[in-house]
Amino acid sequence: MSGHQDPMNEPNVFEKVVDFVDERVGLKTLQAKMLNEPVPGGSRWAYAFGSVLLFIFILQVVTGILLMFYYVPSTDHAYASTQYIIHEVDYGWFLLSYHFWGSSAMVVMVFAHMSQVFLWGAYKKPRELVWLVGLALFGIVMGFGFTGYLLPWDQRAFWATVVGVEIMDKTPLIGDFMARFLKGGPTPGQMTISRFFVIHVMVLPAALMGLAGLHIFLFRKAGPAGPFRGTPEELKAKTDYFFPRQIWKDIVAMASVFLIICSLAFIEPVVLLEEATPDPGDYHPEPEWYFLFLFQLLRLKIFGGELGQLMGALVLPGAFMGLLAVLPFIDTSPERNIFKRPASLIGWILVMLMILVFTVSAIINRDFLD
Amino acid sequence: MQPKLAAKARCSDGEVGKISKVILDPLSREISHVVVCEYSGQRMDRQVPVSQIQEVPNEEEIVLRCSVAEFGQFPVLDRDCYVTIHDLEIAHLEDNLHVEPGEILVPYPRLEQGIPRRSFFANMTHAIGALIALPLVYPVLKFVMKPMYRPFDNEWFSVGNVNKIKKENIGYQFKFRRGFKEVFMPEQQIEKNIWVVKATPEVRKAVYEGKDKKFHDEKGDIVWVNKANSPYIGFSGKCPHLGCGYKWRRTKNYPDGVFLCPCHLSLYDEAGKVVDGPAPRALDVLPMEVNAAGEVKIIDIEYKAGIEKQIRLL
Repeated sequence: MSGHQDPMNEPNVFEKVVDFVDERVGLKTLQAKMLNEPVPGGSRWAYAFGSVLLFIFILQVVTGILLMFYYVPSTDHAYASTQYIIHEVDYGWFLLSYHFWGSSAMVVMVFAHMSQVFLWGAYKKPRELVWLVGLALFGIVMGFGFTGYLLPWDQRAFWATVVGVEIMDKTPLIGDFMARFLKGGPTPGQMTISRFFVIHVMVLPAALMGLAGLHIFLFRKAGPAGPFRGTPEELKAKTDYFFPRQIWKDIVAMASVFLIICSLAFIEPVVLLEEATPDPGDYHPEPEWYFLFLFQLLRLKIFGGELGQLMGALVLPGAFMGLLAVLPFIDTSPERNIFKRPASLIGWILVMLMILVFTVSAIINRDFLD
Repeated sequence: MQPKLAAKARCSDGEVGKISKVILDPLSREISHVVVCEYSGQRMDRQVPVSQIQEVPNEEEIVLRCSVAEFGQFPVLDRDCYVTIHDLEIAHLEDNLHVEPGEILVPYPRLEQGIPRRSFFANMTHAIGALIALPLVYPVLKFVMKPMYRPFDNEWFSVGNVNKIKKENIGYQFKFRRGFKEVFMPEQQIEKNIWVVKATPEVRKAVYEGKDKKFHDEKGDIVWVNKANSPYIGFSGKCPHLGCGYKWRRTKNYPDGVFLCPCHLSLYDEAGKVVDGPAPRALDVLPMEVNAAGEVKIIDIEYKAGIEKQIRLL
């Protein structure tokens, strides 16, 4: 890290190249600024979620690019090319399954990251913008899940998209336009695959990279929030830099997540259902597991009928996201200790319970259908 | 010359003020002026060129060449015409600037004061990163390599009849269609072409040099032999320079006709030998059979272009 050089040793070729670039770009300053960020109260495992998300995303990009070497986004070839990746190409099953489980890991990590920031009160002043950009990133991650789900063009993919787009269609004023825009017509078909594909591989990655950059920039501007307890003296005594201890915790967390995703890919590799067709046959349509609670919500009687459906599918989730967006502006008390913010703590527990209960009941409901 | 901020400015006949600002030249990246805030009058900021500084006897003062009266003639600083170095980005602008009282230091946190442990952590971090990345290298390579190497296809294709060849030592184009199956795509029909020459014995000799030409599969087994005395010779339609499609053309220098590749102007005679242009080898002779009825059959072989040796691709 230090620029110290032993005067006995001439710099080697690598050091000369580094110095050449550094002289022109200022790499060492950049590196020092990135690594020497003080972490108030010291490094923690709880701070690893953001870095892990970045890591998962990078591997999603790598595996996604590799899948595009074979995948063809057309109704004729999407299913055949995906089957070809799974059954013919060396390690194709693994890369596809990694991409699949990586997307689930991304959603889990987003929930963990948001929960940590929420419970630590880290969305409060001066970090409101970090929180808002983070919410947009959450939306993008969900968009990735939704658009990527269609691409294999099997029954699961087709029906999840049919239902998802029908829900979007119910948005007041712009719903019909949005649904037609996504489907590229009145019914799902080739245009839908093309659009979902380009959104999944171009639009969302670009948006995510830009917003993630902004997210990190804003975070660096505001500085890490640190723990919600402890006197300034205690915090100062425990403070260290982002490098090495936090980076160490981050990379260990990344390696663990990597191993978990690999294991899931081995234990439960992706298997396609029948090729998509407008006849579901014996298949019971269901969205990806992280949308299951929303899916189950719409089975409730109170969300029946046109109005109820609007409430369940759009108003309720919309209001919840809206509440999260305005949270730092209505919750202006500087208190960050979660144990002194009972409403926040109870609210978080209730939301998590609600998601858990509805997800589990959706899984139990499967038995009644079979 | 390193004038210090707030140093006193003295003329030959008395003190006139204190340095309040310095001005950097964005091109030379050197200090061009010091701004002296005068003691007398309205405490104007006057812009003094660096050339007017006679000496800097100590950190606390500078000596100007001018008199007090002449100092009053220096232009007053128009602050609106300048930005601070915090408001603009010019590479290395501050490199020659040492006007601050010294470096501004921030102490390392107590936990960060053991340098050896920092490098230990760095090495461990790199090691784990490598543990994540390296196991992926082989699967990823195998993944992308799947369609890159495929066995040779030694199927015979019927391309036409020699009765369309009217003259000797002239190139005739034979078009044919063949099935082409690629990975998960359904089989497609693609159109290809070859060139056939009815060769006189001299041309035959130029092509085969009196020896039969053997064709091999990937194991090295012989799949076909072109007899050196067979009159019909088939050339692959792919230019051995860089793979374009070539034509038979009459030109001013070659009134009888010559194979001409329109891409980089390689010319080949009726025996396929290079007569002009950048091609590294002669046209590729194909395994060809002409039966009693005059029907032409070939094996659709393609070789790598751009090298002297024939290396079979298909």
